[in-house]
Amino acid sequence: MIQNKKIPWEDFLKKREQILTHWETGSSPLLDLDKAVDRLKNMPDHKNFAKKLRKAKAEGITMIQPRAGVALLDQHIELMQFLEKHGEADFLPSTIDSYTRQNRYQNAQDGIKESERLGRSLLNGFPAVNYGVEGCMKVVDNINVPIQARHGTPDARLLTEIIHAAGWTSNEGGGISYNIPYAKNIGLEDTLRYWQYCDRLVGYYAEQGIELNREPYGPLTGTLVPPSISHTVAIIESILAAEQGVKNITVGYGQGGNVVQDIAALQTLDELTNYYLKLFGYNDVFVTTVFHQWMGGFPADEAKSMGVISLASTVATLGKATKMITKSPHESQGVPTKEANAEGLRASKIITRLLREQKFPSSKELKEEKEMIKKEVNALIYAILNVGKGDLAQGVIKGFARGLIDIPFAPSEMNAGKILPARDDQGKIRILEFGNLAFDEDIKTFHRERLEKRAKLENREVSFQMTIDDVYAVSQGTLVGKPRQKGVSA
Amino acid sequence: MKTVVIGVIGADVHAVGNKIIDHVLTEYGFNVVNIGVLSSQEDFINAAIETNAKAILVSSLYGHGEMDCKYLRENCDEAGLGHVKLYVGGNIVVGKQDFKEVEQRFKKMGFDRVYPPGTNIEDAVKDLREDLGE
Repeated sequence: MIQNKKIPWEDFLKKREQILTHWETGSSPLLDLDKAVDRLKNMPDHKNFAKKLRKAKAEGITMIQPRAGVALLDQHIELMQFLEKHGEADFLPSTIDSYTRQNRYQNAQDGIKESERLGRSLLNGFPAVNYGVEGCMKVVDNINVPIQARHGTPDARLLTEIIHAAGWTSNEGGGISYNIPYAKNIGLEDTLRYWQYCDRLVGYYAEQGIELNREPYGPLTGTLVPPSISHTVAIIESILAAEQGVKNITVGYGQGGNVVQDIAALQTLDELTNYYLKLFGYNDVFVTTVFHQWMGGFPADEAKSMGVISLASTVATLGKATKMITKSPHESQGVPTKEANAEGLRASKIITRLLREQKFPSSKELKEEKEMIKKEVNALIYAILNVGKGDLAQGVIKGFARGLIDIPFAPSEMNAGKILPARDDQGKIRILEFGNLAFDEDIKTFHRERLEKRAKLENREVSFQMTIDDVYAVSQGTLVGKPRQKGVSA
Repeated sequence: MKTVVIGVIGADVHAVGNKIIDHVLTEYGFNVVNIGVLSSQEDFINAAIETNAKAILVSSLYGHGEMDCKYLRENCDEAGLGHVKLYVGGNIVVGKQDFKEVEQRFKKMGFDRVYPPGTNIEDAVKDLREDLGE
């Protein structure tokens, strides 16, 4: 039975032997832990993710990072260099392709071959496992800023071993956030174990004096996720990581769209994560926040997309996010060209710098939103702990099974999938169907009242049609989805 | 009631549009068999055989559509589904490419209808009615 307990080192090593056989690159001599420690110790500070985040937080700067990754190693390096130079990226990513995310390394190998044959990337990311430590080293040795793996891999153990041994100093993911939005029928017990392993490795490096950054994936399904739900997952994953010895954590949140709610979300994310880490006895974890620019559908028009990107950058900076994940004007079409990606970065950058000294004024409205988020997060975490009889890992498994915590639009069968979100009259994300979510009547009434207000304004009932209209609204140029007639294209 | 199979092909986990397509097609009176995300060609074909479906609607949002959809038409024909219409939509290739060219590429692969990003599902409803008869 899984528990929130640090994995004993001997058990870890036994498991490790097995993990390294999952693909041929696992046999690289560079995966020797002493060699990996040496390599990481020799990484200069400006290439250390954790250290650069500490510096950014101290200086009050919002750092920018794109998503990017292609199938071929040389082209991937070119892409990274381009985004550093022409996008002014403070941090680089390597978005990992979707075959690797499902551990289909043979498919990824075929994708590399096809891409070589056609001269264009047929994979939607960088197949880091196939290139192994040697390939990943080549990437980090050819850039001048810290680099992180960004993916969506339920079982990222081999990937994690490879990237850290290569000198990549941050990894995104978690046992919930890389399961529920990214898998169909993988058990939470399994993914919690996989990510305990990834975190334990980071904990081991910490014991050797190497600080690596870990980032639970904040936006989850990226679709109308109420802040309290994504916060709860981020806080739980932070605690689970801290237990394994992780000391530097970045918690994330995806832009919702209402400025006040988004700023309330960013402020509470930092406050609540620190609060809960200390409550559970982890006193030496350094917490930063990351804001994801709009994760839903983008307008097809590139200028309008740039507008969405700019709004997001404004909110992230005023909300004092330490880092922001950027989008590009090609977002509606999928994977962007390097030029479009760099344009999104530069537009974002100037806004973070122009707003650096400015503060978002407090208000009754902001306070109310913050209070609501805190109330909801407290209710969810209490329910999860309770059902787990005090153990957080058990609580997660049972809490999801019973729908006490529930993520909208998630593909996983481990998720109840009973709740439905919709926007209120001001575009704040509320909940219209609660399923079995562990909210009390007071909280539910608050949500219902806000949604009723919108329904009245639009002269319709509160219904799933509102949710559908909201899902497509931003791509069509509004935040709150307007009622559309059946059969008529908007 | 006409039966259609919907799902998201390959290693793709984009679930939002899939749930909405399910909801809207059901509302329009189709019998929707939703095999969900992370579905292989085999899953689509088996579902179509088991439910006597008239059309298969393949979604792909992550760029690998070109590889995942290869030989789907041939595999359908081989499984005795020669009469079944094949639709595909989403972000079906990596990056911003000329849609006309992409459409041709997928039609050559045997798809009857190919939809660009941002298509309203209602447009596909019109095509379904035309292709399958009322």
